[in-house]
Parts: sequence; structure tokens; C-alpha cells
Amino acid sequence: MVSRLEIRLKKELKDPEGASIKRKSREYFGIEVEDIRSIRILTIDSGLDADQLEQIRMEIFTNPVTEESSYLPVASGFDWIIWVGFRPGVRDTAGSTAKEAIEDILGVTFKNNEAVYTSKLYEIRGNIDKHQAAEIASELLANDIIQQWKIYSKIDWDPDKGIGFQIPKVILNHEPTVNFVPLGSDDELKEISLKRNLALQERDIPVIRNYFLREDVRKERKKVGLDLPTDVELEYISQARSDHCNHNTFKGLFRYHDIVTGHRETVDNLFKSCIEDTTLKIKKEKDWIVSVLWDNAGVGRFDDNNYYVITGETHNSPSNMEAYGGSVTGIVGVYRDPMGAGKGSRLILGMYGFCVGPREYRGDLRPHLHPRRLLDGVIEGVRDGGNKSGVPTPFGLVLFDKSYLGKSLVFVTAMGIMPAVIGNESSHKKRTSPGDLIVMSGGRVGKDGIHGVTAASETFTEHTPAGHVQIGDPYTQKKLHDFLLEARNEGLISFITDNGGGGLSSSIGESARFSNGCRVDLAKVPLKYEGLDQWEIWISESQERMTIAVKPEHLDRFMELSSRHAVESTVIGEYNDSGYLRLDYKNKTCAYINMDFLESGFPQWEFDAEWLSAEARGLTEPVLGEPDRHGDIIRDLLSRPNICSRNWISRQYDHEVGGGSVIKPLTGKGWDIPSDSVVIRPLLNSNRGIVVSQALNPFYSEIDTYHMTAVTIDEAVRRTLAVGGDPNHLGGVDNFCWPTIEYHPVNNPDGKYKAAQLVRANQALRDYCPGYGIPLLSGKDSMYIDGNLQGKYGEKHKISGMPTFLFTVCSVIEDVSRCITLDAKFPGDLVYILGETKDELGGSEYYRMMGSVGLNVPKVAAKELLPSYMALFEAVKEGLLSSCHAVCRGGLAVHLAMVAMAGELGLEISCPGIPASTGPDLSRLLYSESAGRFIITVAPDKRERFETLFSGLKTGRVGVVTESPRFCIRDGEDAKVIDEDVRILKDTWKKPFGGLI
Amino acid sequence: MTRAKGHFEIRDEKRQRVKALVLTGYGLNCDYETDYSLKLAGAESCRIHINEFMENQKPGSKKLLKDYHILIIGGGFSWADDHGAGVIMASKLKRHLGEQIEKFISDGKLILGICNGFQALVNLGLLPGFENNYKERRVALTYNDSGNFIDTWVTLKINQASPSVFTKGELKMELPVRHGEGKFYASDEDIDLLFKNNQVVLQYAGRDGREVNDIWPLNPNGSLKNIAGICDPTGRIFGLMPHPEAFNHYTNHPDWTRKKEALIREGKSSASVDGDGIRIFRNAVKYIADRL
Repeated sequence: MVSRLEIRLKKELKDPEGASIKRKSREYFGIEVEDIRSIRILTIDSGLDADQLEQIRMEIFTNPVTEESSYLPVASGFDWIIWVGFRPGVRDTAGSTAKEAIEDILGVTFKNNEAVYTSKLYEIRGNIDKHQAAEIASELLANDIIQQWKIYSKIDWDPDKGIGFQIPKVILNHEPTVNFVPLGSDDELKEISLKRNLALQERDIPVIRNYFLREDVRKERKKVGLDLPTDVELEYISQARSDHCNHNTFKGLFRYHDIVTGHRETVDNLFKSCIEDTTLKIKKEKDWIVSVLWDNAGVGRFDDNNYYVITGETHNSPSNMEAYGGSVTGIVGVYRDPMGAGKGSRLILGMYGFCVGPREYRGDLRPHLHPRRLLDGVIEGVRDGGNKSGVPTPFGLVLFDKSYLGKSLVFVTAMGIMPAVIGNESSHKKRTSPGDLIVMSGGRVGKDGIHGVTAASETFTEHTPAGHVQIGDPYTQKKLHDFLLEARNEGLISFITDNGGGGLSSSIGESARFSNGCRVDLAKVPLKYEGLDQWEIWISESQERMTIAVKPEHLDRFMELSSRHAVESTVIGEYNDSGYLRLDYKNKTCAYINMDFLESGFPQWEFDAEWLSAEARGLTEPVLGEPDRHGDIIRDLLSRPNICSRNWISRQYDHEVGGGSVIKPLTGKGWDIPSDSVVIRPLLNSNRGIVVSQALNPFYSEIDTYHMTAVTIDEAVRRTLAVGGDPNHLGGVDNFCWPTIEYHPVNNPDGKYKAAQLVRANQALRDYCPGYGIPLLSGKDSMYIDGNLQGKYGEKHKISGMPTFLFTVCSVIEDVSRCITLDAKFPGDLVYILGETKDELGGSEYYRMMGSVGLNVPKVAAKELLPSYMALFEAVKEGLLSSCHAVCRGGLAVHLAMVAMAGELGLEISCPGIPASTGPDLSRLLYSESAGRFIITVAPDKRERFETLFSGLKTGRVGVVTESPRFCIRDGEDAKVIDEDVRILKDTWKKPFGGLI
Repeated sequence: MTRAKGHFEIRDEKRQRVKALVLTGYGLNCDYETDYSLKLAGAESCRIHINEFMENQKPGSKKLLKDYHILIIGGGFSWADDHGAGVIMASKLKRHLGEQIEKFISDGKLILGICNGFQALVNLGLLPGFENNYKERRVALTYNDSGNFIDTWVTLKINQASPSVFTKGELKMELPVRHGEGKFYASDEDIDLLFKNNQVVLQYAGRDGREVNDIWPLNPNGSLKNIAGICDPTGRIFGLMPHPEAFNHYTNHPDWTRKKEALIREGKSSASVDGDGIRIFRNAVKYIADRL
């Protein structure tokens, strides 16, 4: 029997969800409605009787204080009603917890085909037409990819029947089948690959054919009953060889040619030459570096008994299709990396970065989702994914630019902590051994994520699973997280890794290399619904799963803990040393591949890279005279979208869970100015802290990605040092998002230039990381940040995102009580500027505001900067600093204003004191974005020691903190060039997004 | 910021015999810092999975509530909170531990619900517990007026006339809130009754500690009468939305670098490293220790 329980807030209570939809309808589409209220629906497909239904209605699902409910339709007095429910196969967490609660309270067990499904109704009151109601339904409430919707007018509505009974049950009626693929010719295989969406790379096809045609291979295959390759095998090879899994671009061969100088060089494998070699060299010099370059996350030493782990990811394409689902999957997904680093770590922190089109974009291009809606969606996704994981999300960056209309970027970063020793060995070590059992723990396998977005073109029926999109489920993963830590502590885990891209094919394929072989029974893999083909089970990207190697003698205890934590774990095979990866399904072998096949003989990707310097591309400094109203400029700069307050985002993220918050995302007297970086105490009984920060400066890419990369590294370092980070311990995470670099005369005519940009960015990593002593603990490359958007006349525009490099720097702070915030603290304190301001307005926010790019991009002279960074650290240790702030985007004027606004005090600044080589132009002094600079305030009694410490370094005493909240800057003639009320500056800075909560 | 002095030290030995239990599992979090806070307060505390009290454990290994003095249900998203925050946890606890909890209360022991735990206590009916009825849902914690999750520090005015044993001697406290469903809601009559019985323990206030009139974000969720925490008539069951365990160290406070710099200018240094939130746990531990 099917019953439908409808629950709503009592009329006298506000419906905040409805109010939010009302606001978004107005803001997104200009649709004004009077009122929207929501109704929760549980569709219960079970054998419960009337008494049982009444019991669960009253005892569980209806709050008598705030809600009313009925098994009959409760909607009334509306003009339109919208129903939104999941498509079949989409994870319905609320449905499964409802079932769990019902089973528990009634002491019953649902049969296999019984379930609870959740959905929602929205009553709309207001004078809108059907088209507008449909727009709210399709554009705001439902995402077509994972949800279905219906609208009813008050005339259509049958008050007795309501929405009827909607059961999104998956019915596949499909017998799992293994298909064999003929090997006639390369062309034939290529065609099959296209037809089946296999995405085999053209240059790999001969290698694959040759392998399966080899006599010795065929002979061995016959022994297990195989001849021609199966679809399982080809899908596996395709996954393993994908750019996502194999990093073919970064491992490619680049023929670099500087067209102006004629210089040519061949860069064989960017990853190896710029990242791996650099990091391994640094690892020799830094004994705090524990494990890099091979695991799910890099590992550094936190203290004698503990390691920290860090990793970074992007989740761009899925977030562009489905902003909320994509980003929740992104954050929950990146959290599995620390869980699967070494023998597993406890999550301690997450970070986010969003690069999106302008929030108020009104141009002619039609992105799949308008940037405002996309941004709201990704913010909410990271919020739910992070908060429900019980992990603080204290740091994040947001950047608006039109180039991200093609594809917006979602960066997610995670940190964890683990004991240095588990059992008798270092916790970063792990291996699989012959005889170890392969266990899959966590969620079940469905059609999720199979073949990514290509499946979006398939036609839906009402029982087709919404395959290709994963929706992260932090609840399931949190249970898994807690369980795995206990299993780890008891020494039950020999090896652990997560199931992400490529699913089991990747996690088992890679982990079996240690033992040199495995055998998996695909029929044992628990499924969400019957009817998946073998290859689908093998490559599905269903979320919240880990693959674990467990010794047979530990299995009972492992399963006992798993069951205590309400986590599903299943033995699906075992590791061996056969030299083969073998997959069986019901006693028939469906894949049998040499373990070393994927390691051998595949051709390297090759790229032509042609560099044209900025001058050669015709960039110049703009012809721009000196302005005479700097007060107006500072106010306009402060209200620009990439500088103004984005506080509404930080406040939605729990940044204190864990109880170790030391430096919060927002700081200062009004708790409202963004901190340079954040600090947490991951172990509460210790005063040691982890400091972490990120930087993002894609605007300089327009001039030169080499310097863009260098400045970004320096900024992340300075942000970390500004709160008290240790320059002797700096760990880095490189996160590349790049437009397509493969040249195509029509589709990507500037591909060679973009390839050269990528080479130059990597060369900057290679050149700068050793100087700073930064190993690249982890990293991620996401290519293809392009989109084809429809324009005004039906034409398509290719929009490529700026070459974007997010850099993360973390450090360990010995004693968090030394940490510093950026706010000016006391009137009378002296203001210093550390580091030289140069004629470097190229790519600056100031030039951008003036409509120019310029040429003089900031350059980093690391050798000159490092002594002052060491002096700064000494000053921190001696407690000499009252405040400290890194000067970044916007330049000195903007960041001096930040210091004043944070302290809600005035500053009296005199330009001649500023260490500079900019010449007489104030605009260069005030708005250049030169690297290596800090703003520091110092109590007068510490002046002498401070100045002694910094003597010989480029440091200038530039003014004083004042009680009166005036932000005042004087030129060489002592004339006031800026004289603004700090409170008004702050209001100006807060205003652009001030209405958002 | 000073560590509480005086009779606490004398009773240290007794305090160590105070056994506290922090529930974990099913999406609960905050368990590490809650456990740490209890230990700082002197208790012998442990984190235990809810299922260890419920499931069919091996003979003799099932945990029993009676072995503890203080039960803490902390923050998090139990069972993902999709059917109303704390609802399913309440249903589970009622079915499996209902009698044990009744006995726990009648034995004079302490129950503290923080955030998700508070939501569970009101759904269980342990709060407000009018006239010893610990089974009726009379008050609710519903969606924030803003419609969104918020993380911000709040100032709490503490009702000294309240019987709450957790807040004895406290006038004001600053703590963080982090929730999407924290709006305290009840009928006008029940709100009056709560005030009449002095069961309203905490109210959101201005940063100076004075009462505010429902101003966001000082009152971060639109709670009626700015109510942030209530106790039962005995004062031994206490629920609050703010997180005392997240103020376990002085560096948790958003103003700590400013306060530290001010102390330095006065030639002083911080007397203690503990955060103010620990006082709530210390009061609880002292209450039990005094009765051992």
C-alpha cells in the first residue's frame, strides 16, 4: 500500500524557505509573488496499517508545536502549486533515514521493494501565469538532471487526490551482460569507442589492439575462458588512461618555442620536471616532509606524535551542470582523500574557492546557469557538504570574471590529522599483500557518474535512473569516517583508498599494484538497484565509498565495528600476486589484464607551445594621467566585486566545529574583515596550530602566467606569515585550472599559446618553490575550462577561462598564542610598511577599473624578500607586532584601509616613508600590486627593537594609528590626498553584497 | 578567564570520579571538543557510539547509562536532520533508552543537550519537562528566520534565578552559535510558564550583555523572547543552542588577539588559558562531585 504524508509549518509560523524562494524569484527572474510556503511529503510504499501510519505521523514526523500534517492533501488557498521530487535512482537520504526511523519505532522491517520517498510541494500565492510558475519550478526549485516537477493551477488541482502517488523506483529490467569487442582494425575499434562512449584515445588504440592480439596474451586469456576484449576491460582501460586519472597533459611532451627570442626547448613531462623533481629535492632538505607525490594526500609532520595531511581538488564540470550537487559532491569527495591518506586521517579543515561570472551579469551570452544562481548553488553545496561532515570550513576565496561564464570553477581543499605511528609503523605507510581481502565500505553502487555528462543526452523515462550525476551525501560519509578511524586505531587497515573518479576500477586497479594482482567478484558488490552491467559496476562513481585491504584474521572485528557504526562493508575479492587483474561475475571471468599493461607502451601526449611575450602581443602601459580624486578611487576600489565584502558566504559555513578555532575567517573589532589566513588547533590539548591560506591571481595571466604563478605563491606565503606562520615550514598545494591547450585550427586556434602559458606557470613553480622551501605536498590539474555559449543571434561563442592557479600554503605554529590579526589595535601605534612598492600596475585592480591591462606585471624577487620574511618571523616570536597584514589585490591604499576598517580606528599615513621605486606618481605608489609587502603596526615602546630587527631591510615607518576614525594619506608636500571616514569606507566596502544573508 | 579557585582544588579527587558520557555516531559531531571540555573540567569523560547502548552487544559488553553521571548529547546533524533537527535521534533514544533515561533523571543525574542535542531533548520532551512530564513535546527549535545556517558569536544573558546547576554564579557569557534550526518557538502560554518557572536560562543579548529586541544577528535566529537555552524545573536537564565546548581555550574567542594586546599594554598577561565555556562543564562536574 502506498500512503502519502504531508507535513507543513503551522500558518502562524514564518516559512523561511518559502521566503528565500520568493526573494530568488524576484532577483533571478523578476517574478513577484505574494507568498510561497512549502509542504514536506513522505511517500511511504509499505505494508504499514492505519494505526502504524498514525503512530509514525504523530511520534516522529510531525512536531506538534510547529507543524500540522495529514495523509490527505493539506494544500489550500493557493494560485499555483509545484511538486518537486527526485528522479529514480537519485540518493534520497531523507527517505532512507525515514525508513530507518519507522522500522525502529514500529519494530518492523521493510521488504526489499518497500521504501520511503521524500518530495516537496510549494504553494504559491500571487498573480503569475503558468509560464512564470513553470520558470520558478524548472529554474529555481527543480534541477532537471536529478529532479522531476509538476505544476498545478488552483483550477487543475483535485483537493481529494492532490499529487497522487509518485514512486521514483528504479526498474531496469535488464540482465547484466558482458559484451565482446571485435578487434578487426584500428578504425573499427575507434568507431566502437565512439559509439559506446568509451572515450578511448585515438593514439592508445593501436597499443590496446596489439595487446589483445599478442599470442602469449591470447593463450593466457583462453585459460580463463576469454578471447576478444570485453567491454569491462575496455571501459577499465579507458578510465585508467583518462586525463583525469592519468594526468596525460601534465605528463605530456611540450615543444616550447619563444617566437620573439627564437629560444626552443623540449619539456618532457611537466609534472616530473617542475613538480616532482622540485619537491623531491626539497624533501631532502626538510625533515618535516613525511610523504609526497604518491598517496591521496601529502603528509607533513605536525608534532613528534602526529602528522597532518593536505590535498586540493576541483569539481568544475559537475558544478556547472548542477551547482548544488556538483559542489556538495566536490567537498564531500575531497574529504575522502585525507580519509584515504596513509592508513587514514581524521578531517580537521576544509576550504573553498569559487571563480564565477559576474553576479549581476546582464550580457547576451547564455550560460547553462546564470552566475548568480550558480554561485548560490555552489555556496549552498559546500555549506551542506562541509557543515554536515562536521568539519570546519574557515577559509575561502571568491572571484568574479566574465571569462568564467564558459565554465565556473569550484576548488575544494581538505586537511586531516593522524597519529604518526599506527601499530608498529609510520601511519603514512600502507600496502596490499597477497591474501588481503578487498573490502568496499560505505555507499552502494548505482549508475552514478558513469560516462559523466555524455549521458545527459539520453532520453529519460520515468524509471530511468538519473545516472551521471552524483549527489554527495555527507551523512553517510560521516558515519564511514568515524568507523574508519576506529578500525585504523585497532590496526585493522592494511591499505585504504577512496573511490572517486573511475570508481572501483581506479581504487582496486591502483591498490593491486602493491601485491601485484587481484581477483574481484563483481556480483558481490552491493548495488542500489538490480540490472547494472558488469562494466558499470566496475567504473561507477557512486559516492561515499572507500576500498580497504583487510587481513583475513582482522575481518570479524572490522565487520563488527562496521555494523556498530551502521556502515555497510562487503568483501568483494582479494589481493594476490598473480600479476593479473581479474574480474569475475557469477563464476565467469569478465576481465583479465596484466598488471603492468597500463604502465607500458602507451604514447605520451604531445603539445606545441608557442610563447609570445606581452610586448609582442601588443600590450603596453596605458596612457593614463594622474587622477586628483584618490578618495573617490579608494571608495570605488573598495566596492568592486573582487574586493568588497563577501561575508555572507563565510557566515554560512561552520568554521568552529572541532573546537580549535584560533584565527577565524573574519576578524577585527566588528568581526567582519577577512583574515590573511586561518589558524586552528587540531589537537585541543596542544598549543600547536596549523595555519593555512590560499591565493588566486588569474588577472596577471593576461600578461604572463610565469609571474602570475610567482606572485600567487608569494601571496599565499605572505598570508601565512602574516598571522605567525613559520617560514621554515611551508607546505604547498598547486591547483591548476586551464583552458584547453591542444591546438586546433578552428576550435582552438590559440591552443599553442595556452600550452606555452601552462609551461611557463609550471616553470615558475620549479623556479620559486626551492627558494621558499615549499614542497608541493599535493596538487590537481583540471584542464578544459572552456564553454560554448549561445549569443544574441543564436551563434555560439567559445569562452575560455583565464589560466587560473590556486595556491595553498600551510604551516605549523609552535604556540598559537603568538598569532596576530590584521586589525589596527591602539591609537598611537606606529605604522610600518615592509617591502618595496614598484612600478607594477600591470594586471592590477586599479588598471582594470580604468579599463586597461597594462604591461608591468608584479615580479617576485624571492631572494631579496626572504630575509625580511625571516625577520618578520623573529618579530612574531618576540611579540613585537600589534597587527600584521599582507598587501595583495588592490595595493597599499586598499589594504591600509582594511587595517583601519578592521580596527575601526584612523590611520595617518605619509607617502614619503613608503619604501618605493615608483617615481613621483601617487597612483603607482597607492595601487601597484607589488609582491613581498606587509603592513605592520607596532606599539611605541617596541619601536627600537622592531627597527633594529628590520634595519637594512626595505622597511619604512609611514605613520600612526589614530583614535579619530579618519583614513588619511598625505603626499610628499604633506597635502592630504585621501581623507575619508573609516566608517563610511567600511559601509562602502560592505554595500555591494550587503543585502545577502 | 581565570581558572576557578577555592574548593575546586580540594575536590579534585572527587571530580575525577565524575563520569561523563558524550554520545557519538549517526552524524553527530563536536564530540572531541565536548569530551575535551569535560576532561578540562575534571571529569572522567568518554565518547561512546549510540549503538553501544542499543544494539545486541556481545554478552556483558553493552553499555548502560547508569554507569555515568552526566549525559551529553552534543552538536551535529544526527540522522542528517532531514525530518526536523534532532527528531530521529529523539525517537531512537526514546525507544531504546527511554526507561534508562527516566531512571537517570530520577537518580538526580545531569543531562546536557547542546545544539543538535538541545533539539533532541525538546523532541524527546525532556525539556521543558513541565510538572515532571518528560514525554511531551511542548517547545520547538525551528528554522532560523533568515532561512540560512549561521556561524557567529553571541552574547548570552544568564538568568541567575534559574535552577540550572550548569550556570550557577554566571551573569553573562559569550559563545558561538552554528545552526540552521535554532529559533526557539512555543505557545505564548508556555513561554510565560518558562519565565515564571525561571526555566529560561539563556537569552541572546547585546554585546554589552543588555537585552536586545530581536535584532539580527545579536539574536541570530529569531528565537521568541531571545531564548537561547532552557532547563527543566529541577535545573538538572539543560539545553542550549550555543556551543560552550567551542570556547574551551581563550584563543577561541574572536577578540582574543585584541584582548591580549590590551593586557600587554597594561603590563598584564592572561591568567588562564581556559575558555569561558568550560565553566558550564565545571559547574556540572562540581554539582556531581559535591554529591559523591
